[in-house]
Amino acid sequence: MSSLADTFTTNAREAAAFVERVAPSPDELRDAVRRSTQDTSRIVLGPCEYLPAALRDSLHELPGVVAKPSDEQLSTADVGISSAFAGVASSGSVCIAMGPPLAAAASLLMPLHIVFLAADRIVARPRDLFDSTSLGGEALRRNLVFITGPSATADMGPLVRGVHGPHRLQIFLLG
Amino acid sequence: MPETNFPVTGVTSPRAVANKSEKMHLFRAIRMALEIQSPAIRKNTQTFNNNRYRAVAALPDYDLLKDHAREIKEQSIANLPQLLTRLEAAVSAHGGKFFLASNANDACQYVLKVCQQHGARLVVKGKSITTEEIRLNHVLQSAGMEVAESDLAEFILQVADEQPSHIIAPALHYSRERITALFKRKFQTDLRLDTGEELTRFAREHLRDKFLHADVGITGANLIAADTGTLMLVESEGNIRMTSLLPPVHIAVAGIEKVIASRAHMAPFLELLAASGTGQKLTSYVSFLSPPLDDPPFTLPGRARKPREFHLVLIDNGRMRMREDSVFRETLYCIRCSACLNSCANFQTVGGHAFGGETYSGGIGGSWEAGTGKLENARFSDLCTGCSRCVNQCPVRIDIPWLNENLRNRLNRTAHLSVTGGTLASLTSLSEEDQGAAAAKIFFGNYHWFAEWGTRFAWLSNAVANSRTARWALERTVGLDRRCALPPFPRHTLIQTVNRTHTPAVNVPVAKVALFADVFTNYGIVQRGIAALAVLRTLNIDAELTESVPEGRAALSQGLLAAAAEYAKRAASLLDLYVEAGRDILVLEPSSLAMFRRDARHLLDNDELFERLRARTFEPIEYIARLFRNHGRDPAEVFDVARSPVGSRLFYHSHCQQKTIGCAAPTEALLRAVGFDVVTSSVECCGMAGSFGYKKDYYDLSMAVGADLFQQAHEADGEGSPRTIIASGTSCTEQLHAGLNREVLHPIELLAAIIRLPAA
Repeated sequence: MSSLADTFTTNAREAAAFVERVAPSPDELRDAVRRSTQDTSRIVLGPCEYLPAALRDSLHELPGVVAKPSDEQLSTADVGISSAFAGVASSGSVCIAMGPPLAAAASLLMPLHIVFLAADRIVARPRDLFDSTSLGGEALRRNLVFITGPSATADMGPLVRGVHGPHRLQIFLLG
Repeated sequence: MPETNFPVTGVTSPRAVANKSEKMHLFRAIRMALEIQSPAIRKNTQTFNNNRYRAVAALPDYDLLKDHAREIKEQSIANLPQLLTRLEAAVSAHGGKFFLASNANDACQYVLKVCQQHGARLVVKGKSITTEEIRLNHVLQSAGMEVAESDLAEFILQVADEQPSHIIAPALHYSRERITALFKRKFQTDLRLDTGEELTRFAREHLRDKFLHADVGITGANLIAADTGTLMLVESEGNIRMTSLLPPVHIAVAGIEKVIASRAHMAPFLELLAASGTGQKLTSYVSFLSPPLDDPPFTLPGRARKPREFHLVLIDNGRMRMREDSVFRETLYCIRCSACLNSCANFQTVGGHAFGGETYSGGIGGSWEAGTGKLENARFSDLCTGCSRCVNQCPVRIDIPWLNENLRNRLNRTAHLSVTGGTLASLTSLSEEDQGAAAAKIFFGNYHWFAEWGTRFAWLSNAVANSRTARWALERTVGLDRRCALPPFPRHTLIQTVNRTHTPAVNVPVAKVALFADVFTNYGIVQRGIAALAVLRTLNIDAELTESVPEGRAALSQGLLAAAAEYAKRAASLLDLYVEAGRDILVLEPSSLAMFRRDARHLLDNDELFERLRARTFEPIEYIARLFRNHGRDPAEVFDVARSPVGSRLFYHSHCQQKTIGCAAPTEALLRAVGFDVVTSSVECCGMAGSFGYKKDYYDLSMAVGADLFQQAHEADGEGSPRTIIASGTSCTEQLHAGLNREVLHPIELLAAIIRLPAA
C-alpha cells in the first residue's frame, strides 16, 4: 500500500472514520457494503461518478437500494453511498463533489455514510487540491465538501459523534 | 447551583451585563463568571488550547502557512473595494444576488425583505456571529417568523436567551449539567437528558424537522472568493450543510473582511483555521460552495417545488472605517479562529460574558466591538493584560495586545471627552498627550517614579506599605488592592550596591555586555542583578551596569502611549550607545526585555534602531547558554548542583512575555544541563500580569487565574520534599509568593549560588 494511503487510513481512523481496504471488483464492493449495513437498510445511491461504470452499476443490485428516491424517502433512509472526488492523507478527509442530484443528500442526511475512495486520488495535504495541476484542477471549479469523520459536537459538554450529519462514516479504499 | 438567579451578584442574566459601556457591568460580569461559569469555561478553553498546541506542532510548515495567510489578508483588505466589485460580478454570473449593506439595519431589512418575498414562516440558521452583531434574529422574529438556530451551541443560547461567550463555541460557558437543567426547565420534558448523547439526540430530533421544513436557510461564511463567488463554510455538526443545501433559499451573511481574491487563496486557511480553532486537522465538514447549486432543493410532499435562490449579504457596519484606521485595520485580518481567546489566562477563567461585549469577546473582541459599534463597548478589553500569549497563536499574526493598548489609550482620552461621543474614527491620533487617564492608570503606568522615591526613603515607604491606613488610601485613590502584599523597596538600589563594591576588571573577556538596570531589578529584586553580575564575571564576561530608566512597559500596559513612546525612545537611545560600543544588552526583567524585542517596534518610529536592539538584546541565561554552546562548553563545568542551598528539585515558572519571545526554553534547558530536576508550569500566565493583579477591581480574578499555577506547583511537589520555586518575572514572583507563601528565587540567583569553587 502506498504511504499516502497508509497515512490516510491512520488519520481517517483518528478522526473516527472506519476505513477498510476493498479490491475493486463488483462482488467485493457489494460484500463490503452488506457487511457495514443491515440487509433491511434503505440505501440511497449518490452519483458515484468517480467509480468505474462497472462497479457503479453493480451497486444498483444491492438489496435495499431505493431507486429514484423521493425527498421524503431521502429523509428517512438509513445509508447514503458516495464516491470521493479525492482523499487527503494528512487529515484523513474524503472530498465529495456536489452538484449532480443526490450527491449532497447521500453524504448528509443518512446516519451511515459509505464512501468509496480510489487510492490513487489521495493527495498529501488539503492545500494540494487548490493546485490547478492536481486532479485536473477540478477541485478549484466544483462545489465540494471535505468530510473528516462523522458529524460531531462538543457543545453539549463531552464530545458526541453523530449530530445533524451522519453518525458513522465508512470509507472503502479501492486499489 | 441556581439556574436563573445569581443571588450573590444580583445579575439575573448574562444579557444584563453584555453592554459594558458602564464599568460596573464589567465588574458584575466578572463576579457572575467566577461564581457560575468558570469551571466549564476553564475546562473547555484549556482543552481547545492544549489541542491547538498539539495541532500546530503537527503542521510542518505552520509558520509559512501563517505568513501566507497574513499576506493574503493584507492584500485582500488593501484591495477590498476592487474585490467587492469582482465578487458582485461573480455572484451575479452564477445567478445569485449580491447586496452590500452599509450598516446592520440595511442588512437586516434586506434579509427580511427576501424572507417576506418568499412568504417564509420558518428560517433555519447556521452559526453566524455576524448575524449576532446585526441582531438579525430579533428583526425576523419581530416580523412574525420563526428562527431556528441549528448549531447546538447557538440553540442552547437561543433557549437561554444569552449572548455568545466565545467566537466558535458560543455556549462554552455551559457545563453539561447546566444544559440539562436548562432544557428540562424550558422544554418541560420527562426525557432523560443526563448525557451529552441524550442532549444531542434531543436537539437533533427537534432541529431535523426544522431543516426539512425551512423556507430559508441563513449561514455565515468563513471566507469568500471574489473570483468565483465561492463560500468556504467550516463546521462539525452538519447543520451548516443542511442549512445551505436543503431549503430553496440560501442567504449567506458575512462581514466584508471575509472576501479574499481567489478560491486558490483559500488553501492555507483550511488547516490553519482548524488547527488554531478546535485543534483539529480539519473539522468534520469544510464546504466550498458557489451557490445557487444546480440540483433541486429538498421539498417535502405537499410543498411547492421552487428553484434555488442565493443571496450574498455583505456587511460594512464600521469595517470600512476600520480599514482606514492605521492601527485597527489589522482587526480585519482576523479569521475568527478563537486562538487568542483560548490562549488567554483571563479568558480561560471568566470567558466571554465578562471578557466580551454584546457580540464579540476575548483579546480580539474589543477591536471588533469598538469597530462595529462604539468605542465604549470595548471597555472589557481592560481584561487584556498584555501578557502576549496570544501573539504567536494568531494565524494571521495580529498583534492583539497592541490593539488593546490602543483601545485603552483611546478610552483614556474619551474619559474627559463626552462619554458617549467617542468613536474610533474621532480618536485616531497617537500624538496627543495621554491626558484624561485616571489616577490609577497614571500610578501604574509610571511606577518607576514611585519606585525611585520609594527606594530613596525605603524605611518610610515600607512602613507605609504595611500601614492599614495608607493601604486604604492607596486603594481609594489609585485602586491598589489592599489585600496585595507589596514587594518591599530595597534600602539600596542595584546601582548603589554595585557602586559601593570594588570589582576588578575582567581580564581578556570572552564577551562584553551591558546589564540594563531595569526598574524592577534596580528598585525591586536587587539580588538578582547582583547574582547576574557574579555569574557573568565567573564566565569572563565584561559587564557594565547601565543607568536605570523606564523602558515604557508600565505606561504601555496602561494605554499611556505617548509616555510609553517617550520612555521607550529614551531607553533605546541609551542602550544603543552600548551597542555602538560593541556590547550586547542583557535584560533581567522579561517584560522589559520583551519591550526591546517586540513591543518597541510600534513605539520607536525607527525600524533600524528597533531591529538593531532586537538582535542584540538577550535574557541573561539565554545569553550564557549561547556562549556555552558556541564555545562547546558544558555548563556543569561551571555550576555544581551539589552546592545548591535549596536542593535539586525545582518548580520553574517562566514569564508570559518571556515565553512569547522564546526566552523560557534556554533557562529550562540550562537548569537541566546543570543537573537540576525541573518541573515547569504549563499555565499561560500567572494572573498577576504586571500590575493587573494589584488593582482592586481585578484582584479576585487575578487570584482565580493564579489558582491553576498554585495547583501545578503543589502537584509538582508530589510525594517528595517541596520543590524550590523559581521564576523569572517580578510579578510572577509576587504572585507565586502570595499564592504559595514560599520563597521564590530567580534562576540566576540559583546559578550564582552554585558556581564551582576554583580548584585548590
